[in-house]
Amino acid sequence: MRGRRRVRRMTGPSGIGIGWRPEIAGFVAELPGLRFVEVVAEGVPASGPLPPGLTRLRDRAVTVVPHGVRLSLGGAEPVDPARVAHLAAVAQRLDAPLVSEHIAFVRAGGLEAGHLLPLPRSREAVDAVCANVARAQAELPVPIALEPIAALLDWPDDELTEADFLTEILDRTGALLLLDVANVHANARNRGTDPLALLDRLPLERVAYAHVAGGAEHGGLYHDTHTDPVPTAVLELVGALCARRRPPALLLERDGHYPPAAELRAELDALATAAGFPAVT
Amino acid sequence: MTGAPDGDCAPTPRAGLAERQAELVAALVAAGPPPPGFAPGPLAATRAALLRKRAGEVARHWPLLAAGLGDRWATTFADWAARRPTAGSLRDGWDLARALHDQQTLPPAAAEELATREARLRYDGLRAPRPRRVPAVGRAAGAVAVQIAGRVRLLRPAPRVSTRPGDGVPDAAGSELWISD
Repeated sequence: MRGRRRVRRMTGPSGIGIGWRPEIAGFVAELPGLRFVEVVAEGVPASGPLPPGLTRLRDRAVTVVPHGVRLSLGGAEPVDPARVAHLAAVAQRLDAPLVSEHIAFVRAGGLEAGHLLPLPRSREAVDAVCANVARAQAELPVPIALEPIAALLDWPDDELTEADFLTEILDRTGALLLLDVANVHANARNRGTDPLALLDRLPLERVAYAHVAGGAEHGGLYHDTHTDPVPTAVLELVGALCARRRPPALLLERDGHYPPAAELRAELDALATAAGFPAVT
Repeated sequence: MTGAPDGDCAPTPRAGLAERQAELVAALVAAGPPPPGFAPGPLAATRAALLRKRAGEVARHWPLLAAGLGDRWATTFADWAARRPTAGSLRDGWDLARALHDQQTLPPAAAEELATREARLRYDGLRAPRPRRVPAVGRAAGAVAVQIAGRVRLLRPAPRVSTRPGDGVPDAAGSELWISD
């Protein structure tokens, strides 16, 4: 048993995956070719019974990657050790090959923002993220991948380009990159920049896996909602990414307004086609 | 980058990162003043996006509250939440349900959901709800739920008042007597 568990842990994310959510646990359980899911780490208990759907995936040796959303690694304050300990415990009990979190902050001055907020692309922010990532790495049993977020606002304090900001953080921490293709699309669309130029400047050899999600336009801005279909432009960007360097795995995120199973299967198939991976449906 | 007050946009950092982050969060979730240098449009868009995400998360924790309000859910939640920083989805929904209950505008299905939560957990409105150790009864708008040894049963559904407009949303009365969330 021990030996088998260790072998499983070596299996990094591969192929097409989907974000496991309780609402679609039945759908996910029936995907015959699925080798990889991600689960929101804060939703998984550190002890006691696991959600039964997750246990069944582990029994099938499906790789489960805990994805933190509340660590606030970009916060100016030191990361909360209890949150790191929870992420470490979840990684351990799921035999995860890695964990992931965001280059973002979610609280400051005693207030919770409720979601991921962007950092200024300043040297001070780079220092803050790197210090927190180092604190987390000291306690985590596995490597961490860092995800750049989609932002609707930019700080007036920006000093670095997006590519320099991200590359410096990855270089200094040794962390892997979780590249969210929909976030690249959203930021480029909302800032009026070229998403391909960013792909050309990122260290794509550091990508552990990629995220893909749906979104929608509201009030002249593209919103990364995770509750709408994946737009064609995002799938095209997946193709452009894979033409440069295909990530080992790409994962579809859906967080609400779940469509009928046939539609979700079609989205997974479209993603597989765009990336040149076998279908998992 | 216009209109930053009193020369506050000099190239030297205005304030430390911690302060700047605190100013931004306060402006986004607690009706704080806009931090210097941020464009108002993107700030407003971010504020609205945070409220939408928050409404979605509260709806997952309080499905009957959201379903009971139907197409009024998004605006009802946003109006209530705009100046209230989140206390977590469980408490946000609980506080909103109690506020609607006080205004006598809590839909019946949401009243039943509130009554079952009141029976299961003790919540003082200030700290995280905690499981009740002894049998308890929860009531809201005519709905009555009872909790014994950690299991909650809805004893009496909330009355459906036929004069309430737009109350055509199907609810879970009678179909979800045992709630084990």
